Amino acid sequence: MKLKPKTLAMILAGGRVDELNVLTYYRPKSAVPFGGFARVIDFPLSNLMRSGLERVAILSQYRSFSLINHIGSGAAWDMIGRYRGVFILPPYIGYGQSHWYRGPADAVYQNLDFIHYHSPENLLILSGDHVYRMDYRAILDYHREKDADLTVAFLKVPLAEAHRFGVADLDDEDGDLGGRVLRYHEKPAHPEFSWASLTVYCFRPEQLYKVLEENQREDQSFEFGRDIIPRFLQRGLRVFGYKFDGYWGYTRTIDEYWRTSMDLLGPKPPIPLEEWGLRTNLEHRGIRDCQPLQVGNEAVIDDSLVYNGCRVEGRVERSILFPGVQVRKGAVVRDSVLFFNDVVEEGAVLDKVVSDVNTTFGRGCRFGEPAGDVARGVTVVGWRNRIPAATVVGCGCTLYPHLKPELLNRPIADEEVVR
Amino acid sequence: MKNFTEPEGRRNTLALLLAGGVGSRLNILVQTRAKPAVPFGGLYRVIDFSLSNVMNSRLGQVGVLTQYKPLSLMRHVGTGEAWDFTGRTRGVKILPPSTGFKDSDWYKGTADAVRQNINFIKSHPSEDILILSGDHIYQMDLDDMITFHRDKQADLTIAMMVVEMSEIHQFGTGITDQEGRIVEWEEKPAKPRTNLASMGIYVFKTRYLLDMLADNREEVDFGHHLIPRAIIRDRVFAYPFTGYWRDVGTVQAYWEANMDILREDSGISPEKWGIRPNPYADGQPADRCPARFVAGCRTRGSLISAGCRIEGVVENSVLAPGVVVGPGAVVRDSIVLDDCVIQEGAVVDLAILDKRAVIGAGATVGHGEGKEVPNRAHPTHLYTGITLVGKEAEVPAGARIGRNCIVKPWTKAAAFPETSLADGETL
Repeated sequence: MKLKPKTLAMILAGGRVDELNVLTYYRPKSAVPFGGFARVIDFPLSNLMRSGLERVAILSQYRSFSLINHIGSGAAWDMIGRYRGVFILPPYIGYGQSHWYRGPADAVYQNLDFIHYHSPENLLILSGDHVYRMDYRAILDYHREKDADLTVAFLKVPLAEAHRFGVADLDDEDGDLGGRVLRYHEKPAHPEFSWASLTVYCFRPEQLYKVLEENQREDQSFEFGRDIIPRFLQRGLRVFGYKFDGYWGYTRTIDEYWRTSMDLLGPKPPIPLEEWGLRTNLEHRGIRDCQPLQVGNEAVIDDSLVYNGCRVEGRVERSILFPGVQVRKGAVVRDSVLFFNDVVEEGAVLDKVVSDVNTTFGRGCRFGEPAGDVARGVTVVGWRNRIPAATVVGCGCTLYPHLKPELLNRPIADEEVVR
Repeated sequence: MKNFTEPEGRRNTLALLLAGGVGSRLNILVQTRAKPAVPFGGLYRVIDFSLSNVMNSRLGQVGVLTQYKPLSLMRHVGTGEAWDFTGRTRGVKILPPSTGFKDSDWYKGTADAVRQNINFIKSHPSEDILILSGDHIYQMDLDDMITFHRDKQADLTIAMMVVEMSEIHQFGTGITDQEGRIVEWEEKPAKPRTNLASMGIYVFKTRYLLDMLADNREEVDFGHHLIPRAIIRDRVFAYPFTGYWRDVGTVQAYWEANMDILREDSGISPEKWGIRPNPYADGQPADRCPARFVAGCRTRGSLISAGCRIEGVVENSVLAPGVVVGPGAVVRDSIVLDDCVIQEGAVVDLAILDKRAVIGAGATVGHGEGKEVPNRAHPTHLYTGITLVGKEAEVPAGARIGRNCIVKPWTKAAAFPETSLADGETL
């Protein structure tokens, strides 16, 4: 049957991370807004769409509502039709089976019946929280060409940073294209290799089934990097590395999130959003119904991305405004990312702020210090805050969601956490 | 008795949208599309206003009567999903003229168009029929009009508003008694006796409309034929409307209504009105990224859609999705439709650029002081200084195009005789 897809894609979208906790209070990391109108998971979803891989499962357990809402029918990514579809797989209770996903590998294991049902030739497993563009057909081709049991995508990183990743020693069997994985270390304290795993895995399903069984029987942890890849190597299976050399953006911490967002800006942005053709679900939050951005007579917008539904009457520099953001007269927004429906009232000044949805910055608020000192921290503001007028907040602060206004009736010092 | 199949709050009313209008005074803007399909306000088309009003009034069954160049209209309406017209009790159907045993002709007028679709009306049983045009920019609670119609036990209710005496000759006019009943009617009077004008929005009792249409097949127009007869014989009421309403049937009116969105006090606000565009229709606005404002650009008093890239200066203008304004380029007092490119150093002043037009580097569209020199070929279309550039037209680098000019769609750069087009000329 030619029409039946040979590859099933699974996106690991469940996680939240403590470092991003204010932004992942009500949503999994993959559903965090990014790029002025989209969500982080839109990157893998758009990549899948453009790679022609349109049968997709999403493994999710943390605060799934925002994610489920965002995926909708899958029509936004054309994943709807007889041989196309997107399925959200939450944890479930069954016979002899009643726990949450204990890790990504456990999440896949608990859904083996789903995979069997689709009986794919290749299983592509991706994490849902990176910003990148990749044509997955290239790694699938390489995987098939090498008759591999597992192919992992790797990116060369400075050795000094390699301790944060799973790193591999690759041979140069296929030059710039890839090579055999000789050794693999998960987040080593003293890394010896600089090929970092991008958590893009292409599996031969039969081998994965066996290794997952073994992992369930013998291990206490259920991570692909820590447990599954080493077991593939132990068994002497054919494990290959596919060398990726494009942009790769992380969103694991507030600083990373901010820096990756700033990569959308500038004269030659490292993330050329228009060229990448990012797709999102315009139904989510009804952004399809927004009218064009209204720019006031005294407004200044410089080196910024602004979506429909915004209204700018003040000054916006090097910033990203999601739909529905209002910047009133005399207000200044610099080096900041403001999520849906934030309001910056008259005369408020924001420097290096990442603010979650539905937050209002009262008149004359002062957040952060003017740029020039890049080392200053990013201030993150949780959703549904009403910042009282004239509040002064330092750099690198953390304001939890929905704070009682009386908690903010004093100056907030640099690096302070208010909850 | 309440009809059990009628969902809570939804009226047993069928909507017929007359979307056949040519709107020829819009000149090249309607060369490839009907007037209701003309893009408006950056993201919308004119018909979105009527369709959204119908949706927001909780009417779910709609027929769209088309005739003139219906292609872009059909593509835009699609399944009607954008206006929630999909589902068990909702639907939108495009009704083009068709040949048949008896009615083998084009629509001869508004009433004739409705008459030729009697089968559609009968196959969607209704208590009342709402007839409206797809040509106007306004917001109206049609649900309230239907309530008014039923309260008055009217056979026909016509939405009417007060207009300037100087403009009244373009409308059907009515004189009402104290109760709101229309007692006299004059269609496009040369010497008007009232300033109360018909907006072309009618609510008929379905039974009554079918009888009227059956009476005399020679009656092809509502304003000229059916309404005057109904007023003499039956209960016809005027439903009063106040608020923003524009017929964007001329280039000047179209330009002004677009510019009105930029002014807060103008009374028009598509988003607040609940007007829905269709981002999944042609040109795939669904794929657009946020508008990009490159360092050093300047944008003021404008409406900017997603997918634009601004490097130059934009003032007092409406930009549809995907417009590129190159470095040093200036766009002023203009309406620029989807995916136009204004190259480096070009100037667009008081112009309307149709989709995908390209203005070459250093060219000027709207040059000089000759705003009072009307267009020679179409002096009644262009006389206020606005220059039109057609769909996918190319203006060569360094060219100078004057005021009230027309550059026809698909004009190639090579077709320019010399580098300048004088005020009022057409190419």
